[in-house]
Amino acid sequence: MEQRDLVTRVLQGDPGAERELYDAHVDRVYRLAYRMVGDSELAADYTQDTFIRTFERLATFRGESALSTWITAIAISVVYNGQRKVRRLRTREVELEHAEPVAATIRRADPDLKARLNQAIGELPEGYRTVFLLHDVEGYTHEQIGSALGIQEGTSKAQLSRARAKLRTELAAFAGDVAS
Amino acid sequence: MMDEREDRFDEILREAARDYNAPPATPRAEMWERIQAVRRSDGQADGILPFRPTVRLSARPTVRLAMAVAAVLVLGVAIGRFTAPDSASNPTPTTIGPIADATTETAERPNVATQVATSNHLSQVETFLTEFGTSPGTPDFTDQAKDLLGTTRMLLDSKRVVDARTRTLLEDLELILAQIATLDSKDRREDLNFIADGLAQNQLRTRLRNAIPAGPAIRL
Repeated sequence: MEQRDLVTRVLQGDPGAERELYDAHVDRVYRLAYRMVGDSELAADYTQDTFIRTFERLATFRGESALSTWITAIAISVVYNGQRKVRRLRTREVELEHAEPVAATIRRADPDLKARLNQAIGELPEGYRTVFLLHDVEGYTHEQIGSALGIQEGTSKAQLSRARAKLRTELAAFAGDVAS
Repeated sequence: MMDEREDRFDEILREAARDYNAPPATPRAEMWERIQAVRRSDGQADGILPFRPTVRLSARPTVRLAMAVAAVLVLGVAIGRFTAPDSASNPTPTTIGPIADATTETAERPNVATQVATSNHLSQVETFLTEFGTSPGTPDFTDQAKDLLGTTRMLLDSKRVVDARTRTLLEDLELILAQIATLDSKDRREDLNFIADGLAQNQLRTRLRNAIPAGPAIRL
């Protein structure tokens, strides 16, 4: 009910309500964006874009899911689109510099579990990585993830399971040590 | 047994993953200001909020074109004001015609000595460029080019050379002479082609001949 009221007040042009909505959700959006991209400027850009779109589209929010889930869906879409552009740019830069494959070098050089884990998470397919970050790192439920990503709960669970399996494989060298 | 190990490993994995891209404090105020600025700048004008200002700009090529034209005009006016001689104090003769123009009012005419010196210099440059054109590979051209370049620059620095066409001609000559003066003794073919192109494109020889009063060419 409070959520509906807040949305109504924002739609009526109440600037205080806009700020209230922003304050209620900005930390979660920024955290998620940062987890996904690992860069404070990009995370801030994506967070801003998320809220600009949120205010722009708020009239279409029908309340079928929680407002937070609806905003998370926008945030993920903004990050995905933004990262595609970033990747295109970086690919061009790498082509220009004729760079050697960096990942392979790091893999051999860094035996530390956390560094290896960070790299393995970064190398997960986009869908797996998003579900893994949302569930295991940010604590979203499968229901929330399903709503935010527009997938079934079962799909979310399956993707998480595959993400973990992939990470286990990638970190097999450490599995014996940490699980014993 | 295997499941237990996997569960334990997953738990450790989750624990370790919490440090993955650990977010810093949220820059709330800065982001809010920027969101408000973007919304104020365009959203209220037509009821549609832009996703990003740059996207908005790229969607309006006519606006960009108009801005570019305006910028070029402003730049052109500014350059013109800086570079044009002051017409009130320095009336500009239409041609060099050093001797013929010397009959105009004393207060307005350029210094006759300067005009004669300019004509002599232009004549020397013309001779030089003609000789250079017939045998460009000769190394001692660079020394002559340096001498002529020095005189060219001296005339350009002189406030007495007020004729706009003469000054433009001297500026073009300065560039060509500088290129010749810095010719590398080896591998100069490309530079020579570049110089030849510059001479042709600027019609330097024709302009030189038009600027020099009739008479015998001055020997170098």
